[in-house]
Amino acid sequence: MMLLISSAAMAQIPSVKVEDGKGKVINTSELVDGETPMIISFWAVTCKPCIRELDAINDVYPDWIEEANFRVVAVSTDDARFTAQARSLAEGHGWGDYTLLYDKNGDFKRAMNVQFTPQVYVVDKNGNIVYSHTGYTPGGEYELFEQIKKLQ
Amino acid sequence: MKRALLALLLCGAVAPAVLAQTDGKGYLVGSFESNSIVYADDSVTNAQKAEGNFGTNNYLKADYYAGNFSAGIQMEAYQPALVGYPNNLEGAHLTNYYMQWADEDFAVTAGTFYDQFGSGLLFRTYEDRTLGMNTAMLGARISYQYKDIARLKALWGAPRLGVEAAPETQVRGVDGSFSLSSLLGWGATNLAFEGSLLNRYEPVSPIQEELGANASTMGYSARLNFERSGFIARAEWVDGGEKIYSNPNILIDGKANLIKRGNAQLVELSYSGGGLGVSFTGRRMEWMASKVSYASSQTNNALNYLPALCAQYSYAITNLNPYIPQPGTTSGFINSGEIGGQLDVYYNFRRGTTLGGKRGMKVNLNLSTYYNLKEEGSYVPKTLLWRNVNVGVEKQVSRKFKMQLLYSMQEYNPSHGEGRGTWLSNMVVADLLYKYTPTFSTRMELAYLTTFEDHKDWMSGLLEVNFAPAWSLFASDMFNHGDTKIHYYNFGFSYTAGRTRVALSYGRNRAGMVCSGGVCRLMPAYTGGNLVVSTSF
Repeated sequence: MMLLISSAAMAQIPSVKVEDGKGKVINTSELVDGETPMIISFWAVTCKPCIRELDAINDVYPDWIEEANFRVVAVSTDDARFTAQARSLAEGHGWGDYTLLYDKNGDFKRAMNVQFTPQVYVVDKNGNIVYSHTGYTPGGEYELFEQIKKLQ
Repeated sequence: MKRALLALLLCGAVAPAVLAQTDGKGYLVGSFESNSIVYADDSVTNAQKAEGNFGTNNYLKADYYAGNFSAGIQMEAYQPALVGYPNNLEGAHLTNYYMQWADEDFAVTAGTFYDQFGSGLLFRTYEDRTLGMNTAMLGARISYQYKDIARLKALWGAPRLGVEAAPETQVRGVDGSFSLSSLLGWGATNLAFEGSLLNRYEPVSPIQEELGANASTMGYSARLNFERSGFIARAEWVDGGEKIYSNPNILIDGKANLIKRGNAQLVELSYSGGGLGVSFTGRRMEWMASKVSYASSQTNNALNYLPALCAQYSYAITNLNPYIPQPGTTSGFINSGEIGGQLDVYYNFRRGTTLGGKRGMKVNLNLSTYYNLKEEGSYVPKTLLWRNVNVGVEKQVSRKFKMQLLYSMQEYNPSHGEGRGTWLSNMVVADLLYKYTPTFSTRMELAYLTTFEDHKDWMSGLLEVNFAPAWSLFASDMFNHGDTKIHYYNFGFSYTAGRTRVALSYGRNRAGMVCSGGVCRLMPAYTGGNLVVSTSF
């Protein structure tokens, strides 16, 4: 059994460098704290469904956080020219509860094999990817919460 | 070919050392994307078709991670490429392959990689499948970071053009960053200085050499980053190095080539806090189009990144005539570059305030304007190239109903500055989402464009029916009732199961610009059925 687990190791959060909201370079492996599961969402200024999804989660966030322990990490895939716009948008959409990251060179996006945005992942407290979903249809956020509840 | 062998050898040299350090806990991840179109005849739009009435673009990517080590490949197959994609995309190829070793401070990569210096004005290699763009470098890169004080990166290689590395171009670069605030331990303020050097080498023809062109040219970039309590200021100054502008249609002093040195300036100021996000970007550029290869005229032939810095639209009707930046041109007429800027404001009226109401309200304003330069070396604007005013409002009206409204005014110069004439259009869009149950919803888009120029007025409508999280069906029509009376209809569905998505649609597509991230390519009109399958594992 142990053998099986180690040979079929789950995909994990890779270790690549991205910028935080203040323009400081951080390593994505630092996201894993051994305590809190995460929803990681890749978005862009030009991606309407991405913004819709993050807004939808933001609307129900106060209720969800009462029921489960988790974080939301919103990774902007906008390149250097649009990060200012992305930062302004995140502020203007009230995403203050989210961990905001800026993946200007697309390293995190490539390492996670994101082809289309929105692309969202549910990650357990140890950094294992347990669920992912491409695209957003309104209401799709409930599936994410089901996955988060399983990790409690 | 020699370079490919060398890169493989480098991989071979790194691999044994690396494999010895991994303890078998590696994992493989990957993705696959297939985009196919069956083309139909359509005399109404003079629709273009691929050879055999069928086109398909396919991408397979796989990466292996084990501890500090990673390796990966990408394969691409164009059998043949979809209509409107660059002609240099054909056949099936192993396009990308790399090995990397990286710990917290140090990283070495051999094979293909993507990178950029600063904002990409001097150098950027990237992939954008919507544009048929992949300029990954084939070569080697080393980067080192000392705490959060200093970073240094050096790279060498040949950028990709089409499906393989450009045969004659070589790029060498160094990029560094130094954080004064980290060194001095300032808590609340970030202050960093950055700089880059870029050497580009490509043999020049005897005629170009006679005109003074050099095979080897150096470019520079100097940057300043400042951040304190929600306020960010960035500035970049670039010497883009020597460029050769050639155009057989126009002789300049009897010469078919023009040798120019590029330069660009970029300023970015932003503030965010208390639900308010404001950002201003100003940019001037002159002779800045940097090419992978002088010989190619394909749209994926770019070694730097010069996107349109204006409102980015996601509705079809607002993208009829998008802004195309003018970094200097000799095609048709001569102009050295452009100057302009944009202002973006986002504000969140919180729940419980007068305007916010019970569920809050989000507003967005975007203003942008661009001119070409009065003369070479000038900072004075001359002819209007582009102007837009955008106002967007987003409101959750009730628990079930969400409304987004957009007003956009766009003024566009169809001659890109050769003449003064502009097309002015006004657009309104209503985007209405109604949720019947938590997972069943419909979304409707209604849009209208009015103008006295070009093809006069347009209207469009879209209806989307969503069964979350798996199914989405849509039907849309964009109708030019002002002139051509052509309906551009589209309908289809998408099905998503976890990481796999299948989308099937049929419709008529107009000729025009397809844009992604502020960069555009021209797409001919086509009609047909489109199947997109994507999955990741």
